[in-house]
Amino acid sequence: MLQLLLNALALGASYALLALGFVLILNATSAVNFAHGDVVMLGGYTAIALHALLQWPGAFLLPLVLAVMALLGLVFSLGAYFPLKDRPPVSVFISTIALGIVFQNATNAIAGAEPRKGPALFGEGQVNFGNVAIGEQAMAIIGAAALLIAGQHLLFRYTGLGRRLRATAQDRQMAEAVGISVNRMIGLTFAIGAGLAGAAGLMLANTFFASPTDGSNYILKAYIAVTIGGWGNLYGAVCGAMFIALFEVLYPSLPILVPLLKSTTPWLFSQTMSSILLYVGLLAIMFFRPQGLFGEAIQKRV
Amino acid sequence: MKRLLSWLGIDVRAPLLAGAVGLAIWPFLFTSNYDLRVFTIVGIYAMLALGFQLIFGHAGALALTQGCFFGVGAYVTGILATRFGLSGELTLLLSALIPVLLAIVIAAPVLRLESHYFALATLGIGQVMLLIAIAWQDVTGGSNGLAGIPPMRLFGVEFGKGYGILGLVWVFVIAGAWASHRITRGLYGAALCVARENPVAAQSIGIDTSALRYATFLLSALYAGIAGAMYAHTVRVVSVEALEFPIMVACLTIAVVGGRTHIAGAILGAVLVVNLPEWFRDLEKTYLIAYGMALLAMIIIAPDGLIGLMQRLRTRWFGAPAPVLPQNAQRPAQNSNAGAAQTQTPPRDTRLARIPKGEPLLTIEGVTKRFGGLTALSSVSMQVHPGEIFGLIGPNGSGKTTLINIVSGAYTGDAGKVMLVGTPLSGQASFQIARSGVARTFQNVNLVDDLSVIDNVAVARFGAEQAALGDAFTPGRSGRAWHNARDCALRLLEAFDIQALADQPAGSLAYGIKRKVEIARALALDPMLLLLDEPAAGLNEAEQLDLAQRLRRFSDCGLSVLVIEHNMPFLMPLVDRVACLDRGEVIAMGLPEDVRNSTQVITAYLGAPDTGAAPPIRDAALAHTS
Repeated sequence: MLQLLLNALALGASYALLALGFVLILNATSAVNFAHGDVVMLGGYTAIALHALLQWPGAFLLPLVLAVMALLGLVFSLGAYFPLKDRPPVSVFISTIALGIVFQNATNAIAGAEPRKGPALFGEGQVNFGNVAIGEQAMAIIGAAALLIAGQHLLFRYTGLGRRLRATAQDRQMAEAVGISVNRMIGLTFAIGAGLAGAAGLMLANTFFASPTDGSNYILKAYIAVTIGGWGNLYGAVCGAMFIALFEVLYPSLPILVPLLKSTTPWLFSQTMSSILLYVGLLAIMFFRPQGLFGEAIQKRV
Repeated sequence: MKRLLSWLGIDVRAPLLAGAVGLAIWPFLFTSNYDLRVFTIVGIYAMLALGFQLIFGHAGALALTQGCFFGVGAYVTGILATRFGLSGELTLLLSALIPVLLAIVIAAPVLRLESHYFALATLGIGQVMLLIAIAWQDVTGGSNGLAGIPPMRLFGVEFGKGYGILGLVWVFVIAGAWASHRITRGLYGAALCVARENPVAAQSIGIDTSALRYATFLLSALYAGIAGAMYAHTVRVVSVEALEFPIMVACLTIAVVGGRTHIAGAILGAVLVVNLPEWFRDLEKTYLIAYGMALLAMIIIAPDGLIGLMQRLRTRWFGAPAPVLPQNAQRPAQNSNAGAAQTQTPPRDTRLARIPKGEPLLTIEGVTKRFGGLTALSSVSMQVHPGEIFGLIGPNGSGKTTLINIVSGAYTGDAGKVMLVGTPLSGQASFQIARSGVARTFQNVNLVDDLSVIDNVAVARFGAEQAALGDAFTPGRSGRAWHNARDCALRLLEAFDIQALADQPAGSLAYGIKRKVEIARALALDPMLLLLDEPAAGLNEAEQLDLAQRLRRFSDCGLSVLVIEHNMPFLMPLVDRVACLDRGEVIAMGLPEDVRNSTQVITAYLGAPDTGAAPPIRDAALAHTS
């Protein structure tokens, strides 16, 4: 049970990084980055490639992956966002979908379609505390993700740069009016968002492997997390990510945890069923509380 | 001959005609089974994209369900034909209808979402369908799919491999293109355009934007379902590939590369997208990278697609096509019943006779509105009588626009009620309020820039002409409604002396003219009450005087006007009564003279008087507040 919870927390931590990057970009540009899931996937492959090259453990690769993905995020914004920033938002959706397709198929062409296993942060063994065995990887993920989220929080909350980034996300025109170089801030937000997504990719690639078509799954996870947490709400998104992970890990284990359910048909508690339920739940949330579970309704100005 | 040349020369039709002829000849030039099959697939994708254009191009909603509807259509045919042995007519019918049913189910939670929420939600629905198809092995065959789908048989005729299925598919493409063309022109098409470009304005002129979205969403599912059925009979195998994202990608690429709203765009896009991987065999596995790059390049360089590019080039080389105005442009205004109240010497509004004497037209009673902790309006009450021009003044942020937004249904009040001749307006959607006789303009002009002046106004006749989707298939109906609407619009433009600009795109006009167009559009609703939000802002003095005279003339015919204005020299002589709002409360109401001299009003505008300051100076200052 403890191991199960820990796994759920580790998965939730990776999802949190992914959702956080998604919301940061959403807030700064009011555009959805449809390629965000593919960026996670690329993060995983970057880690695998660097691991093959350097043979370092994942924890030492993490800064490298962050840097590479941040650079990619910057390039991404130059290709998919800046040329279209004055056009209707649908243009940016399409441009990010387009780049997502390119990422996905380029990865497929270079690395092949079969799933690959990413490096562990430190090791994959178990640590025994008394009679409870705890996975090293899960603990390492939780630690690393907590560090990254704390870093993001400190950067945004307590530095001048963070204030400029937040100002840009809150009101771009106002930020520009007080002399903030808005474009630079948006580019930087893309870099941070992609870096966090890349870190998530590195963490997920060890347990769940990486394959080129992972992107659409991850973007949906980010979307669900953000919908649960309330659009634009950074810490709501982190909570939403945790919730999804708990559900995903615990739901298929219900027959093990609750003996009463053991006799039910196997498909009822399959992975697939949990994904479907998660999604149907999302539709229900959108129907009854379109502002998210924690979010406040935003009144449109006429 | 000259006309023929110019017809060929200035219009985009010439290359399109050539393209159509080329397409018709194609299957007789490349006759191998393989070529015929590719050409059939082109038709299937064209059908898919024609449907996608309705929701994506015309309704402006990026629905990533189109590939999913296609896959569902294909699976329905596959399952029913192989497992239940149903006849071709039945499988086709169900393949078309089940995606529509699915669309109806998901429309409720999803369709009212704003753009990106909507796109992501639809992406998720596709993912769920894919998961179900993989997991529900007993029925769908799991990841192996279903093999052995029989060739298409309809009413005893078999449409087998080669020309048979090819012909059938292209018959559907032509029928689909024709239907799409009929639907997207005229009043209904113009309403789609306004709803897409400016939903707030569309609501304000009585267009139910969600109904339009809903209709196009269901139609797009219908097209996709038919395309899916055709695909199942062409490929004869249905596997999870039919539900996977690349189909959606191809469909999106077709619509973006070809053109989002032009029928030829769907077909041209399909020809390119299906054939490019065939033409560039060397890229075999990486053709999707090419799709992605093409998509990105097109969205940056030519967002209207290749057909849009052609139209732009035509305009650059040959000038804009001659606009077509209603035939009776020079005819003196007649007393037709539609829009009679807006002609230059209009008769009195007959609806007023039904209002008992002394009864107000609009009653606002105890209306309260809070935004979070801020009370924008607190228990505001006032009445507007038939034929009255009622002014609403007050400092910035006093709640004037909020009040208009509540009356017009853009906001819902937290307490109180709004009644129009005894009928409550509160709780109704803004399009319903607009249809029941309350028209409005906006503080920031809300017109569709790309649409001509006359069409901007004509589209407000949507409700009056009872335009509907079915018009497309009733001979003569659509054309007649559009003609009537434009006729009425032209007369309204004449009433403002701007008929000469009728064919100009609204975006190209001077600000003052835009304001007039917006008022003309509001009047096209044939309203009993007109809500004007700062109509004189940005007008010079001559224009202001002109506007005041015209408003007076309309009110003499029975139109009531509720007007927000800061410009006192414009407002005070115009209105019959005035109310002044300050911090959400009515602080004065009555004749213009009385309100102007009210100390409370003066205080609200200029702050508390200092001891000894001379009142006349303040009075003069207020008179020139603008």
